[in-house]
Amino acid sequence: MANFLMKRFLQAVFVLLAVTLIVAFAIRLTGDPALMLTQGAGSVTEADLMLIREALGINKPFFVQYFEFLKGLFSFDFGRSFLGGTPVADLISKSLPATLMLASAVMFVSIVISIPLGIKAAVSKGKWVDQTIRIVSLVGLSFPNFWLALMLVLMFSVWLQWLPPSGMNGFTSFLMPAFTMAIILTAINVRLVRSSMLETLQSQYIMVARAKGLSENTVLYKHALRNCAIPLITYFGLQFGGLLGGIVIIERVFNWPGLGTLAFDAVSSRDYPVLQAVITILSMLIVSVNLLVDIAYGLIDPRIRTE
Amino acid sequence: MNSKKTLGSIFKALAITSSLTAASFSFASTLTVSSPQDPGSWDPIDTFLVNWASVATNIYDGLTYRGPDLKLQPGLATSWQQLDDGKRIRFTLRQGVKFHDGENFNAAAVKFTFDRLMGDEGKKGPQRSNYSAIDSVEIIDDYTVDFHLKAADPVLLTKLAGYGAMIVPPKYIQEKGEDFFNTHPVGTGPFKFASYEPKVGIKLEGFAGHWGGAPKLTNLNYRFISEPSTAVAELQSGRVDLIIPPTIPIGMITTIEKDPNLEIATTISPTVYAMRFNTKNGITKDEKVRKALIYGVDRQAIINSILGGQAAQIASFQSAISFGDDPSMSPLPYDPTKAMQLLKEAGVKPGTKIQIDIRGNDATFNEVTQAIASYLQIIGLNATIKPYETNVLLNDIIPAGKTGEMFQQSWGGWTLDYDNTAYFMYHTGEKWNPYDSDPVLDKKLESQRSITDRAKRLEILQSIANYTANRALEMPLYNLNAIFAVSKKVKNFTPVPDSRLRLNEVTVE
Repeated sequence: MANFLMKRFLQAVFVLLAVTLIVAFAIRLTGDPALMLTQGAGSVTEADLMLIREALGINKPFFVQYFEFLKGLFSFDFGRSFLGGTPVADLISKSLPATLMLASAVMFVSIVISIPLGIKAAVSKGKWVDQTIRIVSLVGLSFPNFWLALMLVLMFSVWLQWLPPSGMNGFTSFLMPAFTMAIILTAINVRLVRSSMLETLQSQYIMVARAKGLSENTVLYKHALRNCAIPLITYFGLQFGGLLGGIVIIERVFNWPGLGTLAFDAVSSRDYPVLQAVITILSMLIVSVNLLVDIAYGLIDPRIRTE
Repeated sequence: MNSKKTLGSIFKALAITSSLTAASFSFASTLTVSSPQDPGSWDPIDTFLVNWASVATNIYDGLTYRGPDLKLQPGLATSWQQLDDGKRIRFTLRQGVKFHDGENFNAAAVKFTFDRLMGDEGKKGPQRSNYSAIDSVEIIDDYTVDFHLKAADPVLLTKLAGYGAMIVPPKYIQEKGEDFFNTHPVGTGPFKFASYEPKVGIKLEGFAGHWGGAPKLTNLNYRFISEPSTAVAELQSGRVDLIIPPTIPIGMITTIEKDPNLEIATTISPTVYAMRFNTKNGITKDEKVRKALIYGVDRQAIINSILGGQAAQIASFQSAISFGDDPSMSPLPYDPTKAMQLLKEAGVKPGTKIQIDIRGNDATFNEVTQAIASYLQIIGLNATIKPYETNVLLNDIIPAGKTGEMFQQSWGGWTLDYDNTAYFMYHTGEKWNPYDSDPVLDKKLESQRSITDRAKRLEILQSIANYTANRALEMPLYNLNAIFAVSKKVKNFTPVPDSRLRLNEVTVE
């Protein structure tokens, strides 16, 4: 197990290095932030631009800039935003919890709803319960998330005036963004749990368990669920990663002050340090979630540890 | 009986408390404004964003002030005198003015502000280049300063009313440091800073000690909401009282007008739109072709149908409120027959391709361009539209001269002076002028820059407007209104053309 963990950890570090290098390089292809900053200022001479580039530190060679970024990374120092000069670490430490909170809530809601529903559908395969669950999940799946978001805002904020349409201020402002994403994810997950469960239920050991006279709940939740957990965990893990990336639109619609909003603003203003930091943090999260998934495999299925 | 009595007294108590709260509410009022972007720093020299100005105009004062009527008035300077042919300006400063932290405003603060702007701190920011005419600031006495200029700058007094020229407190900045000042601004304006949460919003409080009198509002909150439909939903649900430009797209105006609690307030703005021509290559090299293209597009029809009438036609690349506008000029009329005739004379064959480069993120302008393309189709040209990401078009395509025959140019200019547009659009070698080089025009543009006689300058600026229109350097499209969405609870609100909203007279019911 220790060997396995070590190997996976080193792989993760390598992935992160590669990501930061590619990102740092790619961002610099998007253009000159000094031009961006002076876009609205009348006559700007090349000398003015040079001064700004010097102040921003983008006149140095690429690798010097990259190594400074890496060095800073170890002390959680991502430099300063080009737009206004706020330390990027401050921006991240405010927006990261907001995003994590939202993403975790979405995952939690969708897993808690989709597991029992998926199992129920699998057990009653072909019956009306199964049909209903499948149709409802298909409908849920077909919503584009920004459209769903706007409809929820129209209904609950503009017409009923129950929930605040945007911002992060208390529990009520949390409901709409979380549910918008959870509805779609749940729809996907129900189908996933159902098919995974169906496959497992056809195995011989389930027949044996039933033949032994075990209660249906024990069969389903103790024997079947544990065995179909591996593909589910992999999928949920990947999904969490995707969720962190896909949260940008939802954050924008609901004006949620998270990493997505930060990244969106940074892209539109060529704010290298902020964008670099957001992507690094996101990839760190995704890599660690994958690492956790691998560890979870080991815990659930002893065969994987020894491989 | 007893319980009834108790209940009665409870209700009475409740009534008294609620009337008390109501009374105290009438003294304390809060206005919440939705602004599309967080400028990231509240230091006047760090930014050029109108969204900075729409907030910070309430925190800071400049030596001069330009109100909603756009006339220059005394600000922190009560009067000024142009000396030495405009190469020296003497300002008499207002006495008894205090910064929000209690520090005194005086000549030393003015000198500190401009030394900082022209010195190391200012070098890092985009504002410095706007004030490059200033050579030094000399303290004459506590309430008199002399600005020594490298060359006369007729627009300087207007520039002193905004952005980089806002007066900042020397002691506070020296003691607390530049970083702290970025996020905890202190000025002499009608509102003082209360709190700031990056990407979320900034809160201000009325400053009772303001030299112009205390503002009517107790609290002034700004929330940064970039998505227009989100901002409108916030307004509809009553959590925002005012949405400032450029958030509201034309398409949303009817939604707001239909809501009985809301209204739209518009005013003329400095923002103008044009399709500029590549005068160096392609068919637009020929002046005749350029004129044909202008004759061939019905701009008034576009304004009426696509822009819902929220714009006015322009004859030169400036708005009617710009210093340099010549009201006697009229836009070329829509005349497709003449357009086709001119194209024929220029030897342009029917079906010739023409490319229009635009910013891809502006849905309204996309529609406008589609209309232009179909008008061009009518006069026999085959127009294609190429949308770019805004920053790419502005920073990489236009300055490098890599556009098609026509490209979108939108321009504001807070100084409301044609020089701020014309010089950058037409002078040889300027960033926004990648194609044209005209010695006659260069000379005209340079000559007006050192003249402080307003009438003479106006004459030259108007002649530039006529000259560029004759050469058809662009297809002038329209002057778009500044569009505000307001809750009807808000009273005494006057929409301003340049986003520099001072909200000290506003109240909320």
